Amino acid sequence: MSRSQGPSSLKRKRPEPAHGHGGALIEHEKVLYDLICSKQSMGIWIGDMKRETKYPDNVVTKSLKALQARGLIKLVEHYQNKGKKFYLSKDFEPSKELTGGNWYSDGKLDREYISTLKGFCARMIQKMKVATIEGIVDAFKKSGASKVDLSREQIEEIVNALVLDNEVMEVKSTGAGEFDFIPVGKICYKSYAKGVKGEPKTGAMASTPCGVCPRINHCTPNGIISPRTCVYYTKWLEF
Amino acid sequence: MASTQYGIKYAVHIITAHFGNLVAKVCETLLRRGPLTLRLLIRFTELSSSQINNSLLILIQHNCVQAFTAVTEGEFGDAPKADTQYLALFSNILHRMRFSKFLAIASEKLEKDKDCEELLEGLLQNGRLSMEQIIERAKSSKHAGNRPIPDVVNESLLKLLNAHFVERCPAPEPTLSPQVEEQPPPRKRGAKAAKVSEVPPTLEQRLVESARPMEVIRFSIGETNTEAEESEHYSSISGQKRKRGDLDMIQESGDADGIILWRANFDEFIRCLRHKACIEHVRSQFDDGAVNVLSAILEATRSSEKIVKTEITVPLSLENIYEEVMKNEVGRSMTLDRVEASLSALGCSGMEDYKINLQKIIEQAQIDEVESIVLKRYGRDAYRMFRFLSKTGGLVETEKISDSAFVDKNEAPKILYRLWKDEYLYMEKVAITVPRYSLCLLWRVDRYNLWEHVLDEMYHASLNLQLRQAYEMEQDKELLNLPPDKRGGPLEKRYNRLRNVRILLESSLLKLDDALMLFHDF
Repeated sequence: MSRSQGPSSLKRKRPEPAHGHGGALIEHEKVLYDLICSKQSMGIWIGDMKRETKYPDNVVTKSLKALQARGLIKLVEHYQNKGKKFYLSKDFEPSKELTGGNWYSDGKLDREYISTLKGFCARMIQKMKVATIEGIVDAFKKSGASKVDLSREQIEEIVNALVLDNEVMEVKSTGAGEFDFIPVGKICYKSYAKGVKGEPKTGAMASTPCGVCPRINHCTPNGIISPRTCVYYTKWLEF
Repeated sequence: MASTQYGIKYAVHIITAHFGNLVAKVCETLLRRGPLTLRLLIRFTELSSSQINNSLLILIQHNCVQAFTAVTEGEFGDAPKADTQYLALFSNILHRMRFSKFLAIASEKLEKDKDCEELLEGLLQNGRLSMEQIIERAKSSKHAGNRPIPDVVNESLLKLLNAHFVERCPAPEPTLSPQVEEQPPPRKRGAKAAKVSEVPPTLEQRLVESARPMEVIRFSIGETNTEAEESEHYSSISGQKRKRGDLDMIQESGDADGIILWRANFDEFIRCLRHKACIEHVRSQFDDGAVNVLSAILEATRSSEKIVKTEITVPLSLENIYEEVMKNEVGRSMTLDRVEASLSALGCSGMEDYKINLQKIIEQAQIDEVESIVLKRYGRDAYRMFRFLSKTGGLVETEKISDSAFVDKNEAPKILYRLWKDEYLYMEKVAITVPRYSLCLLWRVDRYNLWEHVLDEMYHASLNLQLRQAYEMEQDKELLNLPPDKRGGPLEKRYNRLRNVRILLESSLLKLDDALMLFHDF
């Protein structure tokens, strides 16, 4: 279990001298570079740079190219707006607002990583029968399953997602029986009785074509969409 | 919960299928407009008075309409006016689709007593019957044994009455006082803020309540000719002791001509089905131990249940529960410890006596049904977000939802929008001016309105299942009329397909009806 991009760190690494890569910066470049650095991990959009510096377009573009060529700044795409490019000093990791947060990589939710973690947590809860969040965090650390250190909050987020998936149950400790040694009222997690549930059972409505029909609001007994002519029904009744 | 747009359409479809267009027209008018007098019915339906009279007689005979006398204060010092109105009983119309389930319950509880089953079937088919009519039916039946038929019938009826599966018919025309009349009409939709528990009883509920014979009389077979008993026949209006004077206004009870009429007691069947639904839900969540314990508790507290929708069972001690569990064959393997653990799994704190919150189980079953629709129709991401909102209860902004439910922030708004457009979510726009102007969208699961919406979709789906079935049968009508020996080759294949189609549609309808009861009756 590894992660291409660690949790965003706001710590600033030791700045390299700006003229480290072949000569001093010319004036425009210096102004733009300082502006970018001042925005720290938030970065700045090219449009905002033009507005703030009032430099003509070609000057800004040219200077940014030069700065990029020297490796002083980097380009980050906004996770929600791919076309919108932000410039950051290379010494900063992009902020949550730019990347989408801890669980995002390359502007997309890292589903694979999350589902690996979820599977791991689900198995641990099943093994422990009844688990508190502290217990899960402890077991997680001891197992050494993840090379990246996950915070308690992050593990809690994963466990909560399992609850939302209906794969584990959230229960309050009664202090007796299986909750021995757990204080009364403490939130605990446990798996469902018969194996891992994975998918909730399909209800009566969801097993009929109308239950899953996105057009049910347009369906009438004698309309263009009607149960007599419905293609979903026809497919359902193929034997 | 009020009957919805498609609820009415579905009810009218049922009546059309069972009693034809004329009766359905009268019934639809009553369902859409609320209680009406004969004069207004004639005006709205444009049918002749004899047609309407006949339709009403059929509907009353089958317990789908209840007549009552509405007393209104006379204007300008006139004497109070009393006129007869008719109210369609929506729930009873839908019960017509459940007769097979009712029969199955009675058969199970009465250990497959054939005579009882036949008697009950007769009542379900005919709506209401007198003792003479029941005996006539039994005489023409093939199952008659050596014993004199009236005795057999008497015994069966007694058995059915003891089990509360059969009751005396309600008063044909009780009086509703003007005070009651002034209350808001029952079929108003969209009372947004109103919580389910705070809704005043609907006209239908009040009327059924006031027409119902008193508990003692309701399930007793004995003749009641004395005047003293007559006056005690019907429970008082709106829970108050009925005044002597009112009695003059009330027409004679179900035994107007000295004949007692019997009918199936739908309440009892619905109560049994509700218990079943609770047990089935617990089965889907916990192990067999919990199922055994719940069944035992329901069995033990059954006699103290006064209404269909019992919220919490009466408290029982651990010993009592254990004793009851032991009565059951599957329960005998359970130790006291395991019974206690199952009780704790069911959410009972073991401080004093144990009681089960049935309402909570029903609510959870409703939530499961809705969530499964969301999962199937909108996908797993939507399912997680919906569950998150459902759990949170309040308004939550888009970003927070996508973070907590692990849904990509680019996808989340689109999915939420779809759910909102289909009335599965409530949305509120909030303008934020600091640091700069932006619109923030907040989302919430509005359970009261959503439940009504889902119920309406279910009525719609039930109607569609029936319409499709009628269409399929119509398409292959000739095939059905063909004798078996002429059904060779491709015809055989088509015939088998039609049979499978019919089985699938019918079983889906029965299952969907269980879900309907979950939202409408339980």
